Parts: sequence; structure tokens; C-alpha cells
Amino acid sequence: MIRKYLRTRGPTAVGLGVLTFLTGCAADAELDTLNPQGPSARSIDNLFDPVFYVAVVVFIFVFAGTFIIWWRFRDDHDDEEFPHQFHGDTRLELAWTIVPTLILVVISVFTLITLRGLNETEANAVTIEVGGTATQWEPEVVVVGQQWWWEFRYYLNGLDGVDLTDARHLPPADIVTANQMVIPAGEEIELSVTSRDVIHSFWIPALNGKKDAAPGRVHPWKLEADEPGVYFGQCTEFCGLSHSRMRMQVVAVTLDDFAAWVAEQLQPAAEPQAAAAQRGMEIYQSQCARCHVIDGFNDNDGADLVANAAPNLTHLMSRTTYAGGIFNMYEPDGSLDRTQLEAWLRNSPAEKPAYAEGRRGMPAMGLDEGQIDDVVAYLTTLGRAPSLDVIAATEVE
Amino acid sequence: MTATTTVEDVVGQPLGVYTRPRGGNGWRDWITTVDHKKIGILYGVAALFFFVVGGIEALLIRLQLATPNGTVLGADMYNQVFTMHGVTMIFLAAMPLSAAFANYLIPLQIGARDVALPRLNALSFWVFLAGGIVLNLSWVLGGAPDGGWFGYAPNTGIVFSPSPGMDFYALGLQMTGIASLVSSINLTVTILNMRAPGMTLFRMPVFTWMILVTQLLLVFAMPVIAVALFLLAFSRLFGARFFDPSVGGDALLWQHLFWIFGHPEVYILILPSFGIISEVIPTFSRKPIFGYPFMVFSGIAIGFMGWGVWAHHMFVSGIGPISVAAFSLSTMFIAVPTGVKILNWMATMWGGRIKFSAPMLFAVGVVSMFTIGGLSGVTHAISPADTQQTDTYYIVAHFHYVIFGGIIFGLFAGLYFWWPKVFGHQLSDLIGKVNFWVMLVGFNLTFGPMHVLGLQGMARRIDSYSPGFGFEFWNMVSTIGSFLIALSIAIFVVNVIRSAMKAKGQPPCGPDPWDARSLEWLTPNPTPVHDFDEIPVVESLDEFWHRKYGTDENGRVVRVASAEEVCQDGSAVGVHLPSPSFWPIVFAAGLPFIALGLIFNLWLTVPGGLLVVMAIYAWVFEPVDDPDAAHGDVSEVADTTEEAPVV
Amino acid sequence: MSEAAATDHATTTGMSHNKLAMWVFLGSECLLFGALISTYLVYRGRFATGPAPGDIFDIPFTSVSSFVLLMSSLTMVLALSAIKRGDLRNNRIWLLTTALLGSLFIGGQVYEFTTFFREGLGYTTSPFSSAFFTLTGFHGVHVSIGILMLMSMFISSLRGSLRKEHSETVEIIGLYWHFVDIVWIFIFSVIYLVPSPTS
Repeated sequence: MIRKYLRTRGPTAVGLGVLTFLTGCAADAELDTLNPQGPSARSIDNLFDPVFYVAVVVFIFVFAGTFIIWWRFRDDHDDEEFPHQFHGDTRLELAWTIVPTLILVVISVFTLITLRGLNETEANAVTIEVGGTATQWEPEVVVVGQQWWWEFRYYLNGLDGVDLTDARHLPPADIVTANQMVIPAGEEIELSVTSRDVIHSFWIPALNGKKDAAPGRVHPWKLEADEPGVYFGQCTEFCGLSHSRMRMQVVAVTLDDFAAWVAEQLQPAAEPQAAAAQRGMEIYQSQCARCHVIDGFNDNDGADLVANAAPNLTHLMSRTTYAGGIFNMYEPDGSLDRTQLEAWLRNSPAEKPAYAEGRRGMPAMGLDEGQIDDVVAYLTTLGRAPSLDVIAATEVE
Repeated sequence: MTATTTVEDVVGQPLGVYTRPRGGNGWRDWITTVDHKKIGILYGVAALFFFVVGGIEALLIRLQLATPNGTVLGADMYNQVFTMHGVTMIFLAAMPLSAAFANYLIPLQIGARDVALPRLNALSFWVFLAGGIVLNLSWVLGGAPDGGWFGYAPNTGIVFSPSPGMDFYALGLQMTGIASLVSSINLTVTILNMRAPGMTLFRMPVFTWMILVTQLLLVFAMPVIAVALFLLAFSRLFGARFFDPSVGGDALLWQHLFWIFGHPEVYILILPSFGIISEVIPTFSRKPIFGYPFMVFSGIAIGFMGWGVWAHHMFVSGIGPISVAAFSLSTMFIAVPTGVKILNWMATMWGGRIKFSAPMLFAVGVVSMFTIGGLSGVTHAISPADTQQTDTYYIVAHFHYVIFGGIIFGLFAGLYFWWPKVFGHQLSDLIGKVNFWVMLVGFNLTFGPMHVLGLQGMARRIDSYSPGFGFEFWNMVSTIGSFLIALSIAIFVVNVIRSAMKAKGQPPCGPDPWDARSLEWLTPNPTPVHDFDEIPVVESLDEFWHRKYGTDENGRVVRVASAEEVCQDGSAVGVHLPSPSFWPIVFAAGLPFIALGLIFNLWLTVPGGLLVVMAIYAWVFEPVDDPDAAHGDVSEVADTTEEAPVV
Repeated sequence: MSEAAATDHATTTGMSHNKLAMWVFLGSECLLFGALISTYLVYRGRFATGPAPGDIFDIPFTSVSSFVLLMSSLTMVLALSAIKRGDLRNNRIWLLTTALLGSLFIGGQVYEFTTFFREGLGYTTSPFSSAFFTLTGFHGVHVSIGILMLMSMFISSLRGSLRKEHSETVEIIGLYWHFVDIVWIFIFSVIYLVPSPTS
């Protein structure tokens, strides 16, 4: 009868029935919350799943009950006869007050255990090479949100004594990157999440739940990826015009690859050789350097923006997405996606809504086509492209 | 200056220079009325109008999201539309529609002739309407609010939201808040102070009880949102630094204030609906409500516990783990009194002889659909899971099952149930059933898939999504479903028009179309202007039913009197009623000038302020009653005609 | 409500609608001031580069003006007892005295605000200054509305339209007045008596 009921009741039953499996096995769902790839997300999933099934059982009980009542006590002979008038049953009512309470007590115990686990940290130091000498690094990353992109800052000497309270004026970091956070797989990473303007929320569903990035506040959070891979995220606190276009990825790599990445990122930008690139560098200096930073070239503190920061471009080419993680830097074959990058330099507000006139977002720079070519030539000298595997795994649509 | 009982006193008052308008007819009657029934109808019409406005905004949202990278609205317009959808549906549709039922029914259910303070009642409606108009004026005066109905600071600050939209939000909501506060004080006093002889608290219908709890929640929740909105308005208009992090302003202060109001608000919305279906289900099951004391006390418990759960909206906001744990537990256990209600409704139906007329279908719709919303609520009361679900479409699905499934269905049950009470004719039951089924299917198609989308990781409040995350199919389904809901609303409108046309020239329907139970049905349909010919003396819960039915020697229910014999015929003359007044609408008319003046040009506040001050003084010194308006029987002065100059 | 009417039309609780409404309204006001006081408590230490509360508060001065406001509650009681006795002349005197004491308090507040402003504490200086002026300003507006109501009653009385049977009007406005005084006791304690941070 229940099955028949579920069938006849249509969309509700289908909606919930389908929900259980469809979300789990959608082929191409990088943000799926039911497909944990790290310990935190798994502990959440292990809590959610049984509670969900308890809810399904209660749902079936109530719906079956409603249907049975509907069918059994329907009035199909319209007369004046009244059913037995009963006003209540205290024992019954106490029972259905106490039973749900007990179920909830059990659930709350597991909730508290999970909650405690999520707030415990046990990061181990990893060995990386800084300036030719091996050094121990507590895996900590500072996550900074601003309209409408994410910045990731690595302080290789640890966060002791690093004042993060004013996110608009952060102490210089060893590595500053944007939109793609690179971490060693299998290690717990401690995050300090903050914001330079409004409230954002940092969320990598496969690795952990979300945590708001609020200005003036530093929120501890953590991530761990079981295996090397790419894990997608999306800003989840409404943050204004381009909230939907504020995305990010976590790129988890092996410890060796991570050490190599660190070594590479620590290199300052080199002087460009080609003439076009040199012209591009001059344009960068006169136009872009008001906001952007390239280590070893300009390291002015602060940008002519409300958030007081624009993405650090020192190793731009080592990142496969830009503009808040919405455009691909590379074609699937590993060549530069020149059309998109030129469009972005030509008129970025047309590519991604922003309030450039309110100093929130990159304005149209008014460059002519030759200048755009020069700037692209310069930008392509900044950093080294990652492997084709990474390019494929990080591709966005 | 205050209440008097003799004609001489009124004439002799030196400041009583204002004459009060008489009843009259046409539009003048409507804008000066202090009759709780007319104010209820005004509330209902305005709320249904705004419901359609909010519905159109919802359809625009669904059109934008039907396909990936939607371009129907664009990012800026989308943000305005989704903000106004939420604001409109909550403050301008659901709350006033509940107020419509409360205004119309509360005096009737407790055996009174009007509310305690009739002019304040009129004031609350007109201020609400003025607030709704101010909010929607933003569309043509520089842009609608774009910071979300929840308006998290600092995104609503002048730097991040430079259009005047959020000013309209702060000031318009302040006005609807004043309206709610005034109305809640009035109804609280009415219920506590104007019950008919014998109508003890525990003989009050469940609906009246739920309205009482709701009004008390409003009394205490409204000042909190008022403070939040003042802080926002002062920050935007006068440069106050409440939400400026660069000088130490706290980003979470707004959230706390907003949700201390915002979570009781959820119960403010849902409890009237619970009350409505607690009247409908016993009537159509032909049984008394199962466990009346449990129903009442669980409502009260929800009212109390509703104050201790607000931070479950903030599990990922950065409050400490201790707070998260505490609010997680309190949120879980508020499910208990709610669950009790669900089971009691089912037990009410159990063993009954259920007639599935349209009101009953909608009421059962609440029981089942709200259950889904409640259960998904438990899955994010467990805070770790909420860190995955919050701000995704899973939450959107959850609260639409609560607000649409729990509240809109309940309000429609009420509309079908009390339509004959108000208008003297029934809506077509057949069309009503079609209305229900189309709405049920459309509702589940729209919001069911959002559970899937949310668990797949689709964030809320995004104006577009990329292909490739698996969002395409269910978004399209949801959009199709939303148009089915629109169709069901169209069916309702057709039903209203068609039933009215058919009823034209026909005598009113009988006094008791549903074989109902509570006191409001003691008056004829439609309710006469003076409500009760004589104030009834109440001897039991379900007084009206007990006047119709008794038990024989075997304990079986037998009819002892026909409805016609029991009901009053509405023929009483000379019942003295409170006189209409111009001043509530004049007062309300001043407020939009003040609001627009604060936003655009301070000079505008001068005429607005003058209107308000004039209205207050004229109100206070208004002759309490027009003696000529009495129907001759001066001894029968209603309590409600006396008001002191309390502003 | 006249007393005759009160006996003719007994309400369920025995209290008149207007008085009960005032009580409910004052319940609501508790939350209004509660939220404002909470805001102040959150922000009392956040004075940015502006003056800190401990730098500028003049506690003896504010204590005196607080005493003036508390005395006005006493005169309000005397006004009510006068009109209940039918002593309209004394009622007028005490109504006027209450209004004058209230005005004195408001005058003290205006003086305090201008002094603070001269010492560099503007409304937009810091979260502390915004919260301070908003909280005390809201209270000041409440007192001012009370003064307006008292003066309206005083003028009505002069014109002969506030008589013994209207004593409940005086009582209800008195309720409001006492509430505003009691709230000030809380505000005064929270702002001035709790040791304030200094810069």
C-alpha cells in the first residue's frame, strides 16, 4: 500500500525518492555535497545520511498514516451520523511527545560528537624547501574573500605574530595566489578565513562544509583531501552583483609536487625578453599596477579599490582559471585561450558584471588591440603552465 | 478629550471641533472604516494583490534560472527581484493575509462586536499599505533593494549598495513593522479583554489561541527588527558606523538582531495557519480537535522556544562552537511540539467521517507538506550537516515547504472555509478541488527538485549557473512547476469571479454551510455590520456545535437544534458601533512623505510630519462618537467606543 | 474611559482596553531598549581613533540630571493622585512640574551632546559614538514625546476638558512616563556606572 501510495502521490514521493540516489550518482556534479573526498566532509556525510533515513521513515509513517486515514475514514454516504466523539488521549499524546524526543536525543549525541571532531585540529608539519633549505611548515592557509574572487596567502614561517585582523592591510606573505588553492593531499590544512569587504562564504563541498568570510573577523576552518585531485567550490554567502561568479578550486597534489609548487611560487617575476612583452610590461606599469601586484616588479601595498587588493599576478600562468574562477586560461590542448583573455583585457565588465565605477571590480582599461597583444605577451611570461592533467581537471564551463 | 457617555459632554468639549464621518457608502466608507470585518477584507485584498506581485517576481526568478547562464534578468535586476520576492511574500503577503483572518475572525470567535481599539486597527492597515507602497515605489525611484530580504551588513551599506533600494527597504519595512506592532497590541488586548461571558481562555478556539501567541511574538519581535532597521537606516542616511568593519563595526551584529526577530517571525507566519487548519480539520472530520490542551500548549511552547533558536541561521557565520552546539540542540527540540501538532491533527482525523471539501484538502495539504519541511528542517538542525546545506537550494526547498506548504496552503484552506462567512456565498467546491490538486502538483514540482539541487551544491541567490554541475534538468522541472502554481492561482481567481457572478441575485447561503463548530458561525452569512445580535453566553469549547448537537442515552450524537434555530438572524437594530474616522489614513499618508524625504530631500519630511502630528491631535480630540450615528438605543454602547489619547 | 463606563462595561480582565494596551506596548518597548542597550554594550569599547567613553563622560553632571528625571516620576504620581481626588489645580501644577523636570533632563542631554561633540565625539566618529548617541537619543525622544503628552494634558486641563473622570488618561500617560524613567536607570547604569574603557 505504501508503495502504491508513493506511486500515486507522484511528485513528492518521486522527488524525495529520486533525491537519495540521484544526487549521489550524478556523473558531472563537482559541487555534490554527498560525495565526500576528505575526512571532514565524510564525518558530516556520516551524520547526515542516517538522519536523512530517519526522516524518510518518519515521512513514510506520516504519509502512509495520512493516506490510510484518508481512505478508511472518508465519508462516502452523506448522512447525519456522527463518529465516536473522543477528545484526546493523554497517554498517547505523552507517547508521541516522548518518542520523538528520544530519537532527537540520540541524534543530538551524534551531532555533538561530529561537531567536536570538526572543531578539532591536528595538522602535522610538512617538509618543504625554501631558498634551498628544507624547512618545516605547519600547513596553514589564509583565505581572503573580496568582491568577487578569492585570495590564498601562505606564510611559510607560520602565523604566529601575523596580525590578520585588518584584512585590507595584511602583512606580506611568501606566496599569494588567487582562485586556486594548492594543498598537499592527505594533510590537514588549517584555514584562517576572512574578508576585505562584505561577507562571503568559503565552501569546498567535497572536503568540508562552509565557513563565512567576514570583514574584521578571522574564522578558523580546516580542509583535508584524501587523494590528489581538483575540488570545486562556490561562494555561498550573497555578496552582491557577481556573487554567482565567485568560484574557487582546491588543487590537492602529492607532497613532492606541493614542495615543487612552493619552490616555483617563491621565485619573483623575471624581466621579459621579447620586445612585445617589454611593451606590455610598460603598459602594466602605467595601468595595471595601480591595483595588481607582481612580486619583484611592484609590491605596493594596497590597490585603488574598495577591497584594497587585486589578484597577485606573479605566477598568473600557473593558474588555470581567472576572474573569480570563471574563465579558463588554457584550451584543453594546453595552449592559451587567447580569445577569452583578450576579451577580458578589452572590456572586463562586459565579461563579468562588476561595479568598476564604484571601485569594485576591474574596469575597462581602454587599451587598443596592439596594446592588448602586448599585455598578453607580458602576462604569458608570468609563471609556468601546469600539466595537461591539471588543465583538464580544473576546466570550467 | 476622552471618552464620554453623554451628548452634552461631547458637544461641550472645547477641542472637539472635528466631526467624525458617518458610515456612508462607497469608497469613503472604506477609507474611514473602523469595522474589523472591513479592515479584514482590506487586509485580504491588499495581501492577495501583493501575493500576485511576489508571484510574478518568483516567475521571473524561475525564468532566469530555467537554463544555464540565463539572461532573462541580468545580475543586477535578478538581485533586486529575488530581494523583493522575499520581502513581498513575507511582509506584504503572508503576514497581512494572516492579519486579515485575525482581524475578521477574532472578535467573532470570542463573541465581541469589534476589536478593542478600532481606530488603531484601521491605522495598522493603512500604515501597512503605505509601507507596501513605499517598498514598491523603489522600482521606479532609483532601483529596488538588492541586498536580500535578510539584508546582511555590510553588503547593504552605502558603499556596496549605492542605489536608494536599501533605504526603501529600511524605511518601508519600518512602516510595515509599525503596522504589525499596532495590530498586535490591539489584538492582544482584544483577546484578553473582550471575550464574551463564559469564554474562558480554555474555551477559546485553537485559531484564537494561535493568533494570541502570534500577536505576543509580534509584540516582542517587532521592536528588535525596528532597532536593526534603524541602525541600517542611520548608517546609510546619516553615516553611523554600526556596520563599518574598518573602525570596529561588527559584521555579525546585524545578523543577531535580524534573526532574533527573524526566527520568531517564522512562527509568526506559521501559527495562524496552524490555527486555521485546527478549525478546518475537526469540522470536516466531524470530531472535536484531538487533545485541545496539547494543541494549545504546544503552540505556546513553540512561541517560547522560538526565541531560543535564532542562531541556527548562523551556524557558518563564525559564532563559536559552543553557541553552535547549543543552538543546534534547541533547534532540534523545537521539532517536538511541532511534531505533536502533526500527530494530533492526524488523530483528529482518525475515526472521523471525513468530508473532502476544498478547505479540508488544503488543510491535509498542510499536514503532509509541512511535515516534509519539518523533517528537512531536522536535517539541518544538526549543525554539521547544515554547514553543507546552508545557503544552498536545499534550504530554499526546506523553507518553501514550510512557508508555501505550511502557510499558503493553510491560508487557502481558510479562504475556502470562511469565504461564505465573509461574502455570503461559497466558492465552487469542484473548482476548489482542481485548484488544490494543481497547486499541490505545481508546488512539489517547483520545490521538490530544489532538495536535489541543493544537495548537488547549487548555491542560493546566484543569478546564473554554469552547465556541467548537473543543475540543468531539475531547474527546468522547477520552472515548469512554478508555472503550474501560477495556473492554480489563476484557477482561484476564476473561482472567485465565477462564484460571485453566480451568487449575484441569489439569497445568501445558509448560516452554517460546513456544519461548523465555533462561535463565528452563530452570526448569519455574510456577517452583519454589528456582528452579534446579542452577545452569546459561552458554556463550552466548540460552543456553536454544542448548541446544535447533544447526546442521547446511548452516548450517540444527536441533533438537538437546526442551524437556523441556533444562529442569530442579524436583525438587531440600534446596536451602537464605533464611528468611522479619517485620521488613521491621514496618519498613514504622512509616513511615505517622511520616508521619501529622508531618502531624497529632507524638505519632504515637513508635510509628512505635519500630516502625522495633525492626525494624532485630531485623533485624540476627535469626538469619541457621533451621537447621531447611534441607532437610537443609546444604552447599548459598545465597549469599543472609548479611547483615551494614547498615541 | 469614564468611570461610569468602566463599571457598565466590565472587560474580561477588569482593566480598561487603553491601560492594557499601554502595558503591552511597554512590554514591546522593553525589547526596543534591550536591543539598543545590547548594541551599545557590544560597541562601548570600539571607539576607533575617537574619544573613548571613559575619556569624556562627566558622571557627576549626568547623575544630577538623572536625579532630576527620577524626581519627575514622583511629581507624576502627585499629579495622578491630585486628579483622582478631583483637585484639578494641583493636578495642573504637578503635570507642569513633571514636564519641566523632563525638559530639564532633555536640556542636560542637549548640553552633554554638544560638549561631547566639541570634544570630538561626532555621530559618525566610531561604532561607540553611533551606539551612544542612538541609545541616549532614542531615550531622549521618548522623554520628549512624554513632555508633549504632559503639556497636551496641561493645556486640556486649562481649557477645562481634563476632569476627574479622565484620571485614567493621566494614569496611562503616567505609566509611560514611569517606564521611560525606569529605562533610564538601566541606561544610566550600563553607560555611566559600569566602568568605561579609556583610550
